[in-house]
Amino acid sequence: MSASMRLLVRRAIRLSDTNIQISAAARAAARAAARSSSCRCFSDAAEDRSTHFGFETVPETEKAKRVYKVFENVAQRYDIMNDAMSLGIHRVWKDMLLHAMHPQPGVRLLDVAGGTGDISFRFLEYVRSQQERQRRRAARSMQTPSWQDISNNYSTEDEDGPLESRAVVCDINKEMLKVGKQKADSMGISTGLSWVVGDAEELPFDDDQFDIYTIAFGIRNVTHIDQALREALRVLKPGGRFMCLEFSKVTNPVLARLYDAYSFQMIPVLGEVIAGDWKSYQYLVESIRKFPDQEEFTGMIEDAGFYCVQYRNLTGGVVALHSGFKL
Amino acid sequence: MAALLRGVRAGRALRGLSSVVAAPTATTPQCSSLSRGFHRAAPRLQDDFKSDKPPPSSSSTTFHEHYQAHSAEQDNTATASHEGAAAEQASRPNTSYQDQSGEQGEEYETEEQLQARILTAALEFVPLHGWSMEAIASGAETLGLSSASTGMFNNGAGDLVLHFITQCNSQLTEILAEQHKQVQLGQAEPKATADFLRDAVETRLRMYIPYIESWPQAMSILLLPHNIPDSLKHLSTLVDDIWYYAGDRSTDMNWYTKRAALTGIYNTTELVMLQDSSPDFEDTWNFLDNRIQDVVNMASTAKQVQSTGEAVVQGLMGAAFTLKNLTGLNQRR
Repeated sequence: MSASMRLLVRRAIRLSDTNIQISAAARAAARAAARSSSCRCFSDAAEDRSTHFGFETVPETEKAKRVYKVFENVAQRYDIMNDAMSLGIHRVWKDMLLHAMHPQPGVRLLDVAGGTGDISFRFLEYVRSQQERQRRRAARSMQTPSWQDISNNYSTEDEDGPLESRAVVCDINKEMLKVGKQKADSMGISTGLSWVVGDAEELPFDDDQFDIYTIAFGIRNVTHIDQALREALRVLKPGGRFMCLEFSKVTNPVLARLYDAYSFQMIPVLGEVIAGDWKSYQYLVESIRKFPDQEEFTGMIEDAGFYCVQYRNLTGGVVALHSGFKL
Repeated sequence: MAALLRGVRAGRALRGLSSVVAAPTATTPQCSSLSRGFHRAAPRLQDDFKSDKPPPSSSSTTFHEHYQAHSAEQDNTATASHEGAAAEQASRPNTSYQDQSGEQGEEYETEEQLQARILTAALEFVPLHGWSMEAIASGAETLGLSSASTGMFNNGAGDLVLHFITQCNSQLTEILAEQHKQVQLGQAEPKATADFLRDAVETRLRMYIPYIESWPQAMSILLLPHNIPDSLKHLSTLVDDIWYYAGDRSTDMNWYTKRAALTGIYNTTELVMLQDSSPDFEDTWNFLDNRIQDVVNMASTAKQVQSTGEAVVQGLMGAAFTLKNLTGLNQRR
């Protein structure tokens, strides 16, 4: 009986959550109601609430600042450190994210905590090569076009404009965005990419804007993960997809031992040697341990209002790819 | 408790409709007025529930009528968004009805229903894009969903083809059941088995005609290793249904031989249909006739062989007995 009551309450909360989409006025009230229902003691002073920063406990307001400082310090060497720490496997993980995404031409991507823009660059490449392939297929099937076909082609070439896919990279940290912009300039990618400073818990976008929302290795640094998930739901179009790539719990115990040893012994050392910053990489490794595991995170995504939530373990659970839809 | 349940159900029906309202984003002020109208509708409904009302099974219909009356009122306030909402309402009538079926199963049914609707909408783009993710993306877009929702279909084009096959099979079962009812009511003559089989297979294969250009691609998708179990399952249920409505109630080896024979006929006829260029596929239907005749002939030949065999065996037994008599082995001493 109590279980069914809890289920009903949960549904009622989800109802109140989905109504967020409609009226701006109800949004704040609903969020407050949902927050109070998630069993956090609702005190007046925000400083009273504390959260984890790695293995430390810090007040919530301070966490955002400290995370900002961490990434400010590592921004210049971020990509090199990624390659060193993961032995280049992070590229494979990001490629697998793109393959799971399989974006159709003409979609809009929001890459939150995108920082140096890895996902967005891959996205643009993927979509453009797909369009190339489609155009080549169409050309092959029209080897001997009639005059009618040729005139049709001239008229449809203008329509290619609206089909252009666009990626927006959003990050709270200006340093990371700066590094990303430099990378984009050096790679020669200019069209279809924009760089926006924004907080994942409060995105500077209207409702129903994006087809795909990705957050790769960023959501564990967010202070209020459920808020970030709700924002994701808000800015996605109906039918839009939420995808999250994040470090998670390793399932195999042998691999877990090796992974732990590697994380705590090797990575801060690498950080000191290559980037000159032990503490930031200590934080990074500790924050991975503090993040909820695959099933719990799936539950959080469902609570935010997403449907068809699934996850896939990559590299034996070192990284998990979660995906949900706004239906 | 019951009132709370009903309220939650109404709320869920609301959600189905409120997500309808969220879709047309162009006219936001009008949308919010419409949504406020819906929120007002909910308490009005709750009052209806408390008063003497028809049993819960029809509450969804009352709500549906109420919504239609309500949307008629809103005509003055929001024309553009109302048209969008009305179009969406036409394409989402199921959501509010399905909410009756209980809390636990509700969302899963709605998800699968939504997937089914996307795939049905995608079928009209198959002549253009073939059996592919592009067709599913275009189908999702007609329903007002972003093309990113194609990520729900892990099997991609296979999902689309299997959905189409399931749809054709259920259509055929409906037609056969209808015919069966006609025969039961005495309004139609029962057909001979061969004719029945021929008509059933023809009806089923005719459903492929709109997609015949791209059907080879669909068949190749069905032959992919991970799709084979599903496609075999669909084929076997199809053949089983046809034999059932043909009146087969056998419980011996015949059950297997009959279905194997019909499977062979169906598959070969399908392949012939792919290469057929005669008007209205006449050659295919002739081929089908001949194959069914072959099977019927073989069945009667088999019976003849069996009876001949029995007669021969009996004759041999008789001869052996006579020989034994002649040589005196049968005498009792």
